[in-house]
Amino acid sequence: MTTLVIALVLGIFFGFALNKAGLTKYHKIVNVFRFTDMAVLQFMMTALVVSMIGLYGLRALGVIEFPNIPATYVVGNILGGLVFGVGMALTGY
Amino acid sequence: MKKIWKSIWKYIRKETWSPYVAGALLGVVGILAVWLSNNLLGASGAFENLAGLLGKAIAPATFDNMYFNFIMPPGFTYGVAMLIGLFFGGMLGAATSSTLKWGKKDAANDDKQWKRIFGPQVWKRWVLAFVGAIILEYAAGIAGGCTSGLAISGGMLLAPAAFLFIAGMFMSGIITALIIYRRRY
Repeated sequence: MTTLVIALVLGIFFGFALNKAGLTKYHKIVNVFRFTDMAVLQFMMTALVVSMIGLYGLRALGVIEFPNIPATYVVGNILGGLVFGVGMALTGY
Repeated sequence: MKKIWKSIWKYIRKETWSPYVAGALLGVVGILAVWLSNNLLGASGAFENLAGLLGKAIAPATFDNMYFNFIMPPGFTYGVAMLIGLFFGGMLGAATSSTLKWGKKDAANDDKQWKRIFGPQVWKRWVLAFVGAIILEYAAGIAGGCTSGLAISGGMLLAPAAFLFIAGMFMSGIITALIIYRRRY
């Protein structure tokens, strides 16, 4: 139960961050593929860098352990990514 | 001190933040997800959990397969709770910048660029959104996650899958945008 409440609260902040970055809008998503607005990449890469530093730092301190890392299956990951990109550029979600 | 709070509040009220600030916020959320609940962020998986729940109730034979029994077991999961939060978090973000369009005239489709490319019809946007969402969800099923569940959550753990996914996503995204926009690209 506690975990679900944590998920709900984190979800709220997640949605809030997405909205404030403008990623809930069609033109923001599609324009990254047209190289006219890099907000998606800036947002994603900042999130990645911040959480990488935090997670690896906290693991080094022994505070946390990593959960299951998403499985690598090269063909599936790339194929999924390729199909995903079509949907993303088409709808802008 | 009061002045600092006031300027922070003023920034919260802004419609669009610097993507670096918003990204940093998401990064902190990602750390907290692992720290507090040993889980990753995600959005697409929740839809599959819910679809499985619905499917098992309506057509148990069709949904009695590997995928829905083991890979994506149905139920009210961590991801579903996060998805509900995501929805209201997005609304909260719009509400704080007074851009919430609930019940407003152009709420169904307010994107100028979209209208310029595809036309002013509202139904077109909804049909495209529906079809595109099927493509997105199906692709997320193949790859094992979406932009948040695989690219960001996997990326922050340096999972190779995430970077393969990002590469594929941008490759076909750019090509699709080229086809849709043609000379307007």
